[in-house]
Amino acid sequence: MIEMQNITKYYDNFRALNNINLSVEKGEILGLLGPNGAGKTTAMRILTCFLPASSGTASVAGFDVFEDSLEVRRRLGYLPETPPLYHEMTVRSYLNFIGEIRELPWRLREERIGYVAERIGLTESLSRVIGTLSKGYRQRVGLAQALLHNPEVLILDEPTVGLDPNQIIEIRSLVKDLARDHTIILSTHILPEVSMTCGRVVIINEGEIVAVDSVANLEKNAQAVPAWKIILKPAKEQNWRDTVDSFSGAHISEIRELSDAFEFKLELERSENFDELFSKLSAKGAVFREISPVRATLEDVFLRLTSTEERKEAA
Amino acid sequence: MKIFAIMKKELQSFFFSPIAYIVFSSFLAIVGYLFWVILMTSSIATLEPMLYNAAFILMLASPVLTMRLVSEEKKSKTIELLLTSPISPFDIIAGKFLACFILYLVLILLTLQYPLILAHYSQDFDVGPIYSGYLGLILLGAAYISLGLFASTLTENQIIAAMVSFGGLVLFWIFGWARHAFENDFGELLGNLSLFDRYAEFLRGIIDSGNVIFFVVFTLVWLFLAMRVLESDRWR
Repeated sequence: MIEMQNITKYYDNFRALNNINLSVEKGEILGLLGPNGAGKTTAMRILTCFLPASSGTASVAGFDVFEDSLEVRRRLGYLPETPPLYHEMTVRSYLNFIGEIRELPWRLREERIGYVAERIGLTESLSRVIGTLSKGYRQRVGLAQALLHNPEVLILDEPTVGLDPNQIIEIRSLVKDLARDHTIILSTHILPEVSMTCGRVVIINEGEIVAVDSVANLEKNAQAVPAWKIILKPAKEQNWRDTVDSFSGAHISEIRELSDAFEFKLELERSENFDELFSKLSAKGAVFREISPVRATLEDVFLRLTSTEERKEAA
Repeated sequence: MKIFAIMKKELQSFFFSPIAYIVFSSFLAIVGYLFWVILMTSSIATLEPMLYNAAFILMLASPVLTMRLVSEEKKSKTIELLLTSPISPFDIIAGKFLACFILYLVLILLTLQYPLILAHYSQDFDVGPIYSGYLGLILLGAAYISLGLFASTLTENQIIAAMVSFGGLVLFWIFGWARHAFENDFGELLGNLSLFDRYAEFLRGIIDSGNVIFFVVFTLVWLFLAMRVLESDRWR
């Protein structure tokens, strides 16, 4: 549905995107993730025909964004970073204007405005002037604008910015619903959003794709060795640290002394050795208060892939 | 169809903002005052001085009407919406031009009270120069607006847009002076570009097809350039 091949974009001498290759299937929700200034917005602007790429080709629904820009624009719904609103208009007249420039026949227009307003929770605000709406409601109007003509492809640049937690949940489930008959690219720097809505994630940093995978796979790969968070109450005069340290392949870190126990993170080279270590410690009378597996989150992946210091160290 | 969507939207926002009302009321106040003073002192039933003054005041006022046309879209990022919708720069520019031109026509329409007053109170009132004068004023307005619209595509700053169109209009207004300054072909060439010299002929009751064509071409050239600037924004 969406293809980007070897896309590079320069702003004067600054390279915003470098050799981006991307492909999105029909019905997929792709999350574009990256720190501010990574190139997410630039990539989206190229797909929406707002900016040309310096080199490379991109296509939406089989139409080239450069050669067949009009056909691409007909099939797109786009919510830019700043919702493009005319503050002096009412929500209804604004959506009506969008319907006109989006080539929605007038018979359908009223129906779609009603439907989209209901889906996004704007029904009561239709006759309000946009300039008097709160930030969250403006964001909703921006989203309504992108959905109005029921486009095949939706490109949403940070769709949940400025919304309160309840609204965020509503919008996320809306996006998930929409994926059934739309193809969606959304950008964000909010990690939970990606794990909750997106099937696949592309992590961009400094204009380059550093990872493309499903959320589950990224999390799995981020974790080198199995780890647990443990709260242990040792028996009297038990030298639990020696027991652990002498165990082959065990490594503890982040040790914290509680009033009568210790909290620490245990990493084992081989997870099947856990039972053995467990019985060694408990045989000497130690009591385990808490054992919980530590999973790498998308945060870890994100930090690992995007923090430049670490990448330089690795190199 | 999409031209009219843009046009309707522009007209709406003109009347939502105070600018249109302020321009309207100050223009009518000044023109009314001048009409009264000139009529009282000369006692001649001619509209020529009023039409001349109206054109001059509109030259000052029209940049205020045109400055926001594209600049504001750039400032508030709504240009991103327009350029990613299936509409062409032609639709955008034509729609915006028409909206502003309609506003201008309404403004002109409001000055029709003065020829009506003259026609009512005077004997032997010559209507010929009135028709040609108003035709000239309408053509001149199209020229003002097109240059202003072009200036507005250049920047997201409305003040700069107003200043550029104001400077451009004054320049084309005073090109006629070159005729007397140089008294050669170059002076003649510059003089031919003068908006004022050509407008003055309309006021004398002459409708020269060359002058009509000049104003139409002048308008189309600036609209075309505005379109190109809007398109070229994508290439930056």
